[in-house]
Amino acid sequence: MVEKAITGEKRAFMTGNEAVAWAALAAEAEIMYGYPITPQNEIMHYWTRLAPKYGRKFLQTEDEISAGFTTCGGVLAGKRAFTATAGPGNILMQEAMSMAEMLRIPTVVVVQQRGGPSTATVIYSQQETTLTCFGGNGEGLRIVYSTSSHQELFDYTIKAFQIAWKYRFPTFVLGDGYQAKMRESLYLYNPEEKGIPLAEPYPFLGQEGRPGVEREPSHLRNTYNTEEELYQIISRYVEDYERMTPEVVEYQASDFEDAEIVLIAHGIVSRAARAAVKALRSEGLKVGYFRPITLRPFPVGKLREIAPKAKKLIVAESAQGQLFKLVQEALYGETVPLEPYFKPGLGITSEELVEFIMF
Amino acid sequence: MIMFYLLCFHYALCIMHCYLRRGVGIKEGQERIVEAYVGEYASGKSEVALNRALNLVRRGRQLVTLVDFDLVEPFYTLRPLQKELEKRGLRVLAWETEKTMGLGEAGTLLKPEIRWALQRAGDVVIDVGYGVAGAGKLALLANVKECLELRVYAVINIARPLTADVVGVVDYVQSLGTVHGVINNSHWGDDTNIRIIQEGAQIVTKAAEVLGLPVIGTTLEQRFAEQIKGNKLMGKPLFFLERQMNRYLW
Repeated sequence: MVEKAITGEKRAFMTGNEAVAWAALAAEAEIMYGYPITPQNEIMHYWTRLAPKYGRKFLQTEDEISAGFTTCGGVLAGKRAFTATAGPGNILMQEAMSMAEMLRIPTVVVVQQRGGPSTATVIYSQQETTLTCFGGNGEGLRIVYSTSSHQELFDYTIKAFQIAWKYRFPTFVLGDGYQAKMRESLYLYNPEEKGIPLAEPYPFLGQEGRPGVEREPSHLRNTYNTEEELYQIISRYVEDYERMTPEVVEYQASDFEDAEIVLIAHGIVSRAARAAVKALRSEGLKVGYFRPITLRPFPVGKLREIAPKAKKLIVAESAQGQLFKLVQEALYGETVPLEPYFKPGLGITSEELVEFIMF
Repeated sequence: MIMFYLLCFHYALCIMHCYLRRGVGIKEGQERIVEAYVGEYASGKSEVALNRALNLVRRGRQLVTLVDFDLVEPFYTLRPLQKELEKRGLRVLAWETEKTMGLGEAGTLLKPEIRWALQRAGDVVIDVGYGVAGAGKLALLANVKECLELRVYAVINIARPLTADVVGVVDYVQSLGTVHGVINNSHWGDDTNIRIIQEGAQIVTKAAEVLGLPVIGTTLEQRFAEQIKGNKLMGKPLFFLERQMNRYLW
């Protein structure tokens, strides 16, 4: 019997990348496939350091195209498999993740966003929002959690496995280089001890019994003969996705009841936004806060409830309008003005948001 | 005649070498301090090392050099702090951003003057960054074997899961190579309380016994001073940290 990675609850101090590695252990992930890229490297480093101790596996592939497809392969074999990447690696994984959408393969991918386009910086951005939500040559039938702290990296990495396997859509945990490398404390716990269900994997291929005789054959297709055939499949997938949406959509919202301005941000920028709202409220300004946690599916309903009460919405992000587009789409038909605060590839502090709103 | 010049040149070099080794700026009878801080990734090596270096400056030691010996992320750790630390009287050996254009992730890279850090006059405090490789990396420094003053200290934070208990600390320190002492730097960042510091002192003390190494002391923020009687923990001194690293994300 292999030792449990985590028993009880323990407060620890670490980087976000390590938090992801521990979360994958806690979620009983069985194998990681990966190819190194900053700023996600320590996810691999810590996984490879910890995996042998807890009977888990790791395969370093020749590139991210392969890491994406081997992750799909691990899942098809019935394993809780995951990978982690960033920037150009995220681009290369899109082909595999597009296949995962088509074959409904519950892959888990952790993305620690770096600067873009191309190699850009190894440090930080929120420029992989569009890519992670809609990177494939399809409809973006995937789930994307945008985290803002080490605790959330831990919580949502565990959750990603469970949600991916439950709904069979590829699931992404979207962090960034700041979260990857910064240090803060978090509680590590065993999800089962807290009553959090773990993913229940099963093989998609190579099951027991003769196909067509003793069991249904596994007929996984990513190729269809006619437009009508494809249309039928995609329509069914879209229907599944829409049925799932109210069950998985997550957000944080506060101070919006009487708010004249609502500050919208996701990921680590939402921490600056929340602190700014607190500071502005203490100055007597009526400012509210909205943060989508799932960027895909987007919490459209809540935003549409909040937005019309405000005189203005401000969207702050470390990208040139990638969250803004999601907000715009969600609010189509509403007349409340949207104001951008874009800093592509650059961090955003609460102080600058306070200044932007006050002056 | 040529032989005479060569001989003179040789003597001149020898004198220069001795002078450098003795350390300019160190008063007669004062030992040169050369320390390297190693430890788990995010254990607090940089914080402890730079506080130690600042402390030496405050104690009036003339020349103190802080070395950012990080081969993996050599452009980030002390990057935002370098100028400020230099203003406070430290000599800092680290890459400057403007001198590393395009080297964001060029692989492992050693700044040439860091290779010769042990040859420098005065005290030298080395922050051995990016914990996994351990003290073995010190072999990259020129004349490391001849540097008899060099002391290597392992910085331990028991909030790091792999060094959370006695067995973990012992295993980890044994994996580092030559270590001369251990330091309890147990903390949870902003969420630190006295409990983790005290528990850290106990675990580090027990581990040090197993390892046969001395405990150098406990490093902690000044705000906990009042909660500790007699200015000692487990019989070892306290060293107060003025936190610098928390101001930066990387």
